[in-house]
Amino acid sequence: MGATTVVKARPARPPSPPEAPAARRTGRVRSGPGSRRRRAGMLMVAPALLHASLWIGLPVMVSVALAFTKYDVLTAPEFVGLANFRDMLDDAVFRKSIVNTLLYTFFTVPFGMALGLLVALALHTGLKARGVFRTAVFLPQVTATVAIALVWLWIYNPGNGLLNTLLSFLGIDGPAWLSSTTWALPSVILVGIWQGIGMKMLIYLAALQSLPKELYEAASVDGASRVRQFFSITLPLLKPATFFVLITSMISAFQSFDQIYILTDGGPANSTTMMTYEIYKSAFREFRVGYASAQSLVLFVLLMGFTLVNKRIMGGSRGHN
Amino acid sequence: MELNRRSVLAAIGAGTAAAALAGCGGGASSAGSADGPAEGEITLLTPIYEGANGKTLLEQKILGGFRKKYPDVKVNVDYTTYAQLNEKITTGLAGGLLPDVLMMGVGWIPPFAAKKAIAELPEELATAHDYEKRVLEPSRYDGKLYALPVVLDTRIVVYRKDHFAEAGIKKTPANWAELRAVAKQLTRNGRIGFDPFSIELRQCWETFLFANGGQLFSSDGKKVLFTDSRGVEALQFFKDLVKDGSADYARKTDIGTPSNVQTGKASMMMTSSALWVQAKDQNPDLVEDDKLGSFVLANRRPAMLQGGTLVTQAARSKHPAAARALVEYLATPESILGAAEQRGSVPGLRDLDDTGYVKENQFVDLSLQNLQHAFSEGGTAAWMEIREKIKPTLEPAIVGDQSAKDAIAELGRLAEAAIGRM
Repeated sequence: MGATTVVKARPARPPSPPEAPAARRTGRVRSGPGSRRRRAGMLMVAPALLHASLWIGLPVMVSVALAFTKYDVLTAPEFVGLANFRDMLDDAVFRKSIVNTLLYTFFTVPFGMALGLLVALALHTGLKARGVFRTAVFLPQVTATVAIALVWLWIYNPGNGLLNTLLSFLGIDGPAWLSSTTWALPSVILVGIWQGIGMKMLIYLAALQSLPKELYEAASVDGASRVRQFFSITLPLLKPATFFVLITSMISAFQSFDQIYILTDGGPANSTTMMTYEIYKSAFREFRVGYASAQSLVLFVLLMGFTLVNKRIMGGSRGHN
Repeated sequence: MELNRRSVLAAIGAGTAAAALAGCGGGASSAGSADGPAEGEITLLTPIYEGANGKTLLEQKILGGFRKKYPDVKVNVDYTTYAQLNEKITTGLAGGLLPDVLMMGVGWIPPFAAKKAIAELPEELATAHDYEKRVLEPSRYDGKLYALPVVLDTRIVVYRKDHFAEAGIKKTPANWAELRAVAKQLTRNGRIGFDPFSIELRQCWETFLFANGGQLFSSDGKKVLFTDSRGVEALQFFKDLVKDGSADYARKTDIGTPSNVQTGKASMMMTSSALWVQAKDQNPDLVEDDKLGSFVLANRRPAMLQGGTLVTQAARSKHPAAARALVEYLATPESILGAAEQRGSVPGLRDLDDTGYVKENQFVDLSLQNLQHAFSEGGTAAWMEIREKIKPTLEPAIVGDQSAKDAIAELGRLAEAAIGRM
């Protein structure tokens, strides 16, 4: 984890034995302890490499190839060049799904991160029964989304749901949350924020627990307030953890599917449909696997773009040794 | 060509992708023969026979009888729902593990028959039982028989007789003008006059389209016909009801939960004959006190959507004779009656018209009496794609500012593009 690199000094590496000139030229080492270490290393990563090649590399390659075909599962793929991408430009629903995905990411990621950090700070300050709180906050992360969505379906039920019942005590006539084009997306976003807090909290908590106490002691001696300490020490030192949380949260937000599938089915009037949901619909409900592959490629490019931009802005996950 | 590490890796990559693509495309084949003895282990994929009762009915009663007749056939059942049926079939086709016998909906036969994923059935099966005249139509593609009907699910209007009596309404609406007026009259004290939205919007709009004299596609399935004024008027009618306040899209209920007519929150609703069974279970007083009535929607003509579940055989079954035997068995009157009773559906065989079940379920009785006014969805090989587009394309017109004309035009454009890709 990024946070570990902040504080732990790297152990000194033993000097490598000098390589023979011939071996340096060919790039091969045929014998010696270095070669054995390399071979052992290769052997150890081989299962993971094989797994990644088979189950990630191959599907990605096939998916990229299928993006340029018309393929309906029933008949062999037919090369259509850029037709799928042209269709995508005309697809108003897919455009809407991109906007919805960006909106969902824009709200769930920063709010979720802020809340995750707040909860982590609260738990870090020696709160009583923090184990219970930590479990409670983390529970949505490990609970099946289907179960969570069913609970939220009841909460949002316009007739006898928890939310509208509470609002009725205040004299407010709550809307039909998931059936309204105005409220459906914010309702889904709220579920997304709530569900994601646990993992963000956990990463921040781990990072907070590894921060050097000496810095805070020195800052206290210099008379820095707790707020000043937070902004001048804690936040900068949490930068690698923040980068990690940001990237994983963004990827997760871009891939949100389950809650849409159960809560709204993309509706009403496509107001909650997301890119992954449209990809799923194209492939599994409309039998347009080639088109779905092209949509996946667009999602991949978008995600890659955002990740690179973030890396550029935040300076990557470099530690502060 | 110079053989180096890069070129070898590139060749391996291209070869792998090509092999994978070739493997993916192995779904097409001609219809399988069903000669030989019925034996072997086969799989049945079914979106009906839900819950413990459905499972008991299928595995003990129906398949129990089948096992007695065909002791050398073992049937493994793969249960799913209509919501997940598409995914099951897609993944089955992609993985080369399509079940031997499949149950699917009305409208699904042309897409799968056109791609040769399901097997053609012998024509004599169409006359093996006394089918109602139009019941077999959704089982055909290009004039050939590909499936047999198990149950029908018609769409009718159910109303509260007590609400009608309260408002002094003596007869059910004969056209949309009357329906709108009656719905307005019945809308009072937080109750809506009409709930057309608690069934799937696609099927609801189709019923209104058919009642307005329209149709979805040309008989060869290659032309879109719903884009004319009749399709627009059908959608506009929903907007008018919402504008009047006598229908509310946000107040639709979920399948299985007590409907608005059952709870008294609506006086009329579009529904299926299954509501009779649901009401008997959830609000028996409504049935016992004769508070529920039903009628067939009408405008330019009376129309009832005929959905349902059909049973068909995979083209590439390893045990075609066993699969064929199961298809035939699931379409016998005994199997059909059990499934219809369990779901509250309509049996499409005249042999079953006089059964206690048909006489007792008034909505089934009404449906059987009006089968001549039944219309089915689908009719094009591009249906699987088009059916997914209907709800999300029409919904913005109902809940937003989009005009009915624009929504129908957009749907027409999408449907034409889908047909063009076939």
